[in-house]
Amino acid sequence: MAKGAGSTRVQGDWQALSQQYWDAWTDATRNAFGTTADASTGKMPWHEGLEQWSRLFDAHKAQDSQSEVVERLLAGARSYFALLQSLAEKGADGKADPQAWAECLRESFNFPGADAALRDNPLARALRELAGHGAKGFEQMMQGLEPALAEARSLLDVPAFGFAREHQEHYQRMAKAWLDYQHETNRYNALIARASQRAFTLFEDKLGERAEPGRQIDSVRGLYDVWVDAAEEAYAEVALSPEFREVYGALVNAQMRVRQGVQREVEKVSNDLGMPTRTEVDSIGKRVHELHRAAKNRAESDAALRAEIAALRADVARLKAGPPKAPRPRKPTAKAAARQRKE
Amino acid sequence: MESIRIDPKRALDEALRAQQKLAASFRTLREIDDVNYGATDKEAIYTEDKVVVYRYKGKGKPTAKAPILICYALVNRPYMVDLQDNRSLVKNLLALGEDVYIIDWGYPDRADRWLTLDDYINGYIRRCVDAVANHSGVKKINLLGICEGGAFSLCFAALHQDKLQNLITMVTPCDFHTKDNMLSHWTRDMDVDLFVDTLGNVPADLMNFCYLTLKPVRLNQQKYIAMLDIMDDKVELENFLRMEKWIFDSPDQAGEAFRQFIKDFYQGNKLVEGGLEIGGHAIDLKNITLPVLNIFAEQDHLVPPSAARPLGEHVGTKDYTQLAFKGGHIGIYVSGRAQREVPPAIHEWLAKRTR
Repeated sequence: MAKGAGSTRVQGDWQALSQQYWDAWTDATRNAFGTTADASTGKMPWHEGLEQWSRLFDAHKAQDSQSEVVERLLAGARSYFALLQSLAEKGADGKADPQAWAECLRESFNFPGADAALRDNPLARALRELAGHGAKGFEQMMQGLEPALAEARSLLDVPAFGFAREHQEHYQRMAKAWLDYQHETNRYNALIARASQRAFTLFEDKLGERAEPGRQIDSVRGLYDVWVDAAEEAYAEVALSPEFREVYGALVNAQMRVRQGVQREVEKVSNDLGMPTRTEVDSIGKRVHELHRAAKNRAESDAALRAEIAALRADVARLKAGPPKAPRPRKPTAKAAARQRKE
Repeated sequence: MESIRIDPKRALDEALRAQQKLAASFRTLREIDDVNYGATDKEAIYTEDKVVVYRYKGKGKPTAKAPILICYALVNRPYMVDLQDNRSLVKNLLALGEDVYIIDWGYPDRADRWLTLDDYINGYIRRCVDAVANHSGVKKINLLGICEGGAFSLCFAALHQDKLQNLITMVTPCDFHTKDNMLSHWTRDMDVDLFVDTLGNVPADLMNFCYLTLKPVRLNQQKYIAMLDIMDDKVELENFLRMEKWIFDSPDQAGEAFRQFIKDFYQGNKLVEGGLEIGGHAIDLKNITLPVLNIFAEQDHLVPPSAARPLGEHVGTKDYTQLAFKGGHIGIYVSGRAQREVPPAIHEWLAKRTR
């Protein structure tokens, strides 16, 4: 960004504004929690302010049902505040072109403390942050198994023989499945990184479109929203590509093969300990379900049969009763008899 | 002309406002109890395994000639249609004189691992339809299927049309192979047999994770940044938390039904391309000759309009109506626009056709 003669003055103003912000933040925490913020603000007071909120919320936890929402709020707000600080600070020294703003945005995602592996890759960060318990559980399980898998990996190329050959082959298959999963994860991550890079390009394009009067962006939130549009558009381009489809399928399948290997191991241990296994429970469940379905079908056909039998019985009863008797001729009334006599 | 004109003082104001909202949220969050959901009283009229059919109790006696049975998707809880007092499709339908029932599928567990689509469609739905007809004293009812429940309702109507007067589908995919259908795209190279054989039932968290990855930045970051604006407003925050509860209060998916749904609908696109069988019975949408109302959302990221719109080309009926709603997959139930537009549209359409 261009550094003009007035740049130093503007930067000075900016530092004063940052100090004001920090003072206001200190007041806010004091009012809300009755505590004072950590005075070591470091170089990133805005972002650090949020980190301290995170710590304060953690210490004064609201209901459990709300804590996850707060966690998500703070995770989402983290990137916004980093953007806020980066853009306001660097934009304070004057004019910039879309490329410079995009560069500024890129830097904001690499805030201190952020995972270096996710540098310049905000989409990967977003995906990591949203990991649900289903996915998290798998990653944690795999971390726990890492030592065993490392051991198994060393046996990959050793031929199996003897009494334990089946077990050795099982571990070899597990290790291969794990390597395969890591390979597919890397391919997936490469696509997400590509989407992130594309997002920065689209962001620049979108900024270029906003130069006309009336469409200019005048707030950080507005700028952030443009970034989100660019990021989602870039992600959708990649996620709808044939390459992503193939990689996504391969990744899911690879993860399932690892899970299956682990399940087999658990079953083996359960068997050794005389405990029921999932295979047995599933087998029993399937039989019970089939019986349940057959019983329901039988009950329905029985009801239909009962209704049919009842109708047939009614018909039989009518037949047994014989044909309905013909009505007896009615005796003529006295008037009719008199009329007949006259005729 | 510059595209960005952000005054640092204004940026500072934004940051300060956000901090003030965060400070206020600490108090607001402590004032909020567990959020309630479900605005309308209801009574159970039929139960079977974990399935319950409820009848909603309106303030007055229904004036409609035949009841509506709502068949919700398996992947979320059905209280979305009656989330809260001022966001309720059900409440608005009742106010218009409709008689509304709903199928609650419950939370399948491992005992339900072997439930098939045949069990759901020819079993549960058929018996629920019979139960509603018996309860309301009519021979034929109106069926309103939502999302996956809409796809089930199409199959049901193709096989058991004699039990229905009218069919309404909401945000229901029929063509699963349109170019913008991200979910479908992702499932195409998945080995579903391996998936279900490994997982058994499909965990709800895994499903939710998948849905969130459809728009990772918007659904996981932008939404929560927007939440900052309401952190000092107890009522708005309660509304937000209620929606959060609904989004993440999801049942696991019965393994066998999931297997068949992904194979035949997402991968095979058999509902429109042919070859679909449920319990050994061929499904042909041309068999659906009763009146059909198809309502879809124009900004739906889960069921793109392109997946829902073609239904009219595939059903056999001559009485087909479609309504494109300006909103998303959820907004079609809970937005202010939805309250004004959707229930009257359903009511007026039914009133002209129900005997």
